[in-house]
Amino acid sequence: MKKYAYFPGCSLEKMARSYHDSAIQTLRRLDVELEELEDWNCCGATAYFHVDELLAYTLCARNLAMADKQKLDLVAPCSGCYKNMHATRAHLQHDPALADHINYALEADNLKFDGSSAVRHLIEIFVQDVGLAAVKAKVTQPLKGLRVAPYYGCQILRPRKADEDVEQAHFFEDLLTAIGATAVDFPMKLRCCGGALIITNRKAALSLVRNLLKNAADVGAQVIATACPLCQVNLECYQKLVNQEFGTNFNLPVMYFTQLIGLAFGLPPKQLGIGTELVSTEPVVCHARSNAS
Amino acid sequence: MADKPTFREEIAGVLHASMGNPLDMCMQCGTCSATCPVASGGFMDNSPRRIIAMINAGLKERVLKSNTYWYCASCYHCTVRCPRGIDITELMYGLKRYTVWHDKTQEGLIGPVFSEAFVKMIVRTGRSYEPVLATSYLFTLGVPEIIQEAQTATTLMLKGRLPLLPSRIKRLDNFKRVLKRIIPLGDSEE
Amino acid sequence: MKHRIGVYVCHCGTNIASMVDVKAVAEYAATLPGVVLARDYKYMCSDPGQELIKDDIKSHKLDRIVVAACSPLLHEHTFRNATAQGGINPYFFQMVNIREHDAWVHTDRAAATEKAKELVRAAVHRVPFHKPLEKKEVRIRPEVLVVGGGIAGIHAALTLANAGKKVYLVEREPTIGGHMAKFDKTFPTLDCAACILTPKMSTVKTHPNITLWTYSDVIKVDGFVGNYKVTVRRNPRYVIEDLCVGCSECIAACVFKEGKFPDEFNLGLGKRKPIYLPFPQATPLVAVIDPDVCLQLKTGKCKKTCVEACGERKAIDFEQEPEIQEIEVGTIILATGFKIFDAKRIPYYGYGTYPGVYTSLEVERLVNASGPTGGELVLRNGQKPKSVAIVHCVGSRDENTNKYCSRVCCMYSLKLAHLVKERTGAEVYNFYIDMRTPGKSFEEFYSKVSGEGVHMIRGKVADVYLENPADKNGRLIVQAEDTLLNMIRKVPVDMVVLGVGLEAHADANDVRRMFNISCSNEGWFLERHPKLAPVNTFTDGIFLAGCCQGPKDIPDTVAQAGAAAAEAMALIDAGSIELEPNTAFVVEEECSGCKTCIPMCPYTAISRNEEKKIAVINEALCKGCGTCVAACPSGAIKQNLFDDEEVFEEINGVLSHV
Repeated sequence: MKKYAYFPGCSLEKMARSYHDSAIQTLRRLDVELEELEDWNCCGATAYFHVDELLAYTLCARNLAMADKQKLDLVAPCSGCYKNMHATRAHLQHDPALADHINYALEADNLKFDGSSAVRHLIEIFVQDVGLAAVKAKVTQPLKGLRVAPYYGCQILRPRKADEDVEQAHFFEDLLTAIGATAVDFPMKLRCCGGALIITNRKAALSLVRNLLKNAADVGAQVIATACPLCQVNLECYQKLVNQEFGTNFNLPVMYFTQLIGLAFGLPPKQLGIGTELVSTEPVVCHARSNAS
Repeated sequence: MADKPTFREEIAGVLHASMGNPLDMCMQCGTCSATCPVASGGFMDNSPRRIIAMINAGLKERVLKSNTYWYCASCYHCTVRCPRGIDITELMYGLKRYTVWHDKTQEGLIGPVFSEAFVKMIVRTGRSYEPVLATSYLFTLGVPEIIQEAQTATTLMLKGRLPLLPSRIKRLDNFKRVLKRIIPLGDSEE
Repeated sequence: MKHRIGVYVCHCGTNIASMVDVKAVAEYAATLPGVVLARDYKYMCSDPGQELIKDDIKSHKLDRIVVAACSPLLHEHTFRNATAQGGINPYFFQMVNIREHDAWVHTDRAAATEKAKELVRAAVHRVPFHKPLEKKEVRIRPEVLVVGGGIAGIHAALTLANAGKKVYLVEREPTIGGHMAKFDKTFPTLDCAACILTPKMSTVKTHPNITLWTYSDVIKVDGFVGNYKVTVRRNPRYVIEDLCVGCSECIAACVFKEGKFPDEFNLGLGKRKPIYLPFPQATPLVAVIDPDVCLQLKTGKCKKTCVEACGERKAIDFEQEPEIQEIEVGTIILATGFKIFDAKRIPYYGYGTYPGVYTSLEVERLVNASGPTGGELVLRNGQKPKSVAIVHCVGSRDENTNKYCSRVCCMYSLKLAHLVKERTGAEVYNFYIDMRTPGKSFEEFYSKVSGEGVHMIRGKVADVYLENPADKNGRLIVQAEDTLLNMIRKVPVDMVVLGVGLEAHADANDVRRMFNISCSNEGWFLERHPKLAPVNTFTDGIFLAGCCQGPKDIPDTVAQAGAAAAEAMALIDAGSIELEPNTAFVVEEECSGCKTCIPMCPYTAISRNEEKKIAVINEALCKGCGTCVAACPSGAIKQNLFDDEEVFEEINGVLSHV
């Protein structure tokens, strides 16, 4: 039984509830327990860093300190939260004076950051900790023939944490293959969905979303798999708007990778939050059902 | 008596993550701009490369009038590809903070308004809440777009994906004390 | 014993005198025990200055000399010579640095003068303990080993051979010629590479003074300057070199009717059979059999039509074994060349993913008349390109790959632009950051190519992607910011040529260890001094030539090869060299055989005498660094010019005012 401290992030409460549900359900099947941080606060997304860096670090440090208290590594399903907390931990470890300053503030909530909890992205748990073999072993309805575009997005791989290669990742494809799906060669898999630009520069964001959807459609994807709520929302909830702006007629379901894993595990769609989408995932669910072994 | 820092020194040192950002090493190759999804789509008035050239040339006012950094999507693609090792994304963050601190943000940009609304909300509750953020950009939309946005919001709400009420963290008082210890925020109830 | 010490304090013009009161120092020196004469002089290193020393030794019967002046690196030699010419052992001399260590680094005149006095006093204490040392003479064998048969190795070998020296030229590939043999036309003259190279290759083959061993590796190097023992392994080509005449009938007769395996010379763009000639002008013109794919060698079951075709010459020998050769040479020239950057390391340029993306070296083969397409610039999809992008700086000038500039790519990219346009009339776009064309006639070449209508776009390429993601054979879009026009360019092209940079060979570190030299942090073999000794290494008798020392073009490579040959010749013609006696030696009776010193020596100068079970230091390899002296737990290693007495007396001299 593996245990982690869990940071759902603001989106997973409502907007990306299906990500949360499918994550908990699938990890349970893999004997992994997620212990939610008892009083987590927002990670600050990008907006906080636009206003004050020190306050932004403090926000993240509070969450990290709570994980340190739980003596468990911290798992974040959202790439944005993951990036913020990973970077904060690295900065505080690198600069003890900064850590002292922030710890002085955290005293007011009886917390202390010590950097003992590592920060992990949810997908890493499946791919590295649990391992692809263990994931494959639990598959009862392999998603055979389902063409999935693995959409990494930006903030899982970038910025670099050490010296690693950030342009040739293939763990997402490997995960999809392990659950029986066909991971299509998706040239724009590392490109930006626009993120917060959907608010601050809608025109730009819609253009980026449109390019991604077109690229996925051009390579014959039947569904796009994501690992970040903001990517999912941008690609799915604004598809109608994209169609209006550009005269296209995209109808491409965008699902969380945990939902796809859940379907492959034979879990009931409702448990995976399926049914809350603006672009119907019926075709995907049917495909999964038809492969029931 | 210390020399007044140049604009480049100011920006290269805007707090922690931007510290020592080697802006003067820029060889103006344009990799950042051609990689940037927003710049290469034509949505920035100055490309990131041009911003760096202007900073290095001390053209502070032109940089402050530019919308480039507020349209940065924070995708970090430029940073990982820069052949001179400049962290361009952090530079964009630094420029945003600089304009916010010096109260020199341009009119008509949604970014500064949105960011301030976001920060205020977190200071108030510890969590984010989408509907409040809507006010920061709705003013820029035309009537058909506002209707469109309302439709999307309604559909999301019916699907249970939009929070009706803002959530709060439990130890909110402690949280506010924590923030006050870092930077006294004055009356944080505004 | 009473000594007669002469002390000379140099003004060095105003370099020393402006900060140190040299007269006062000389006056002080005269009061020191053993000093019979103390002078100050404007320029000790000048002829009159040196004459002073010589004359004083004779007239005042001096037996020790101290000169307080600049750094010993500059003039220790000068003053030792003067001392010797005065009639006493040159090592009865001690130099004191009161310039770099005193006048140039202090601002307080009084303190600087005091310091100079103390330093001189220390030297005066030390110098009586100097021993009369003699330089050792090492004879230099006249044979030379040249490792690497590219243009650098070929030129060095020919230069030496023409001077009457015996040369062994060892090359790892089955033929000499190196990278130059793969080029089509060379910049800036657009000479045909093969046309100017093959005559030299041919001369190498027939030269009476050159022993050419191709398909061979150096596997062991022992010895020291003038006396190297090198072991070479001659790998089996399964064809007897002396019997094969290069008629290629065996190749035509091979059971494989057509080429099936990637042709290395054509970088995999063409196919060859298991038995092959690397290229038509290969030297030696001897067939090679690839044991990994030859049916006979893999399975033992083949009709062996090649043997039949060879007939009476009987040149094919499937039983051939590797042959070990041991040679003795006096000097070695390393000319092992480079490899190109692996473009797969930059996935967003599409090399290996999109068929329309090539490296520059591949394109050299495509435009070459003896290449896989007979010189027709035809793409993998069978079509001729109508638009071509040439990308500069692939794997160069980049923190993420190689930080350095590879020096030749701008010129070869312009050359390829010219050749592509000439052959196909296509639109050609060169994407660059800076245009580096500094050599002789290079600017003229740049103008010429610009004048041919090649589009020069100043912007590093950020992405190469398919115009239509569903059509891999379709056009590619090359995206860059045109920094001069201040606009993003998305140029559709049929072909992308990557201007890959140069890198050291993957095994450069292993090779350098074998030869006991160093590599720089970029991986190139390290020269002794970047400006004043670019072909020498820190190991006497081993020289560098060509790209193994750093990326360079053919003119510079040939010049360097000539320089390396000249350095080797200088040693050979001198017949012997003198070694400085500041080496370490083991006092046998005191050595406990603990072996602590052996791995510590950076010059691998220490070995173990198994009989006596003690350490032995090779004087010729020893550079007098002092590491072993300090490390020896028994104190059994001593160093000439730095024995305990000398060092402690010097310290006493400094502290004697306390």
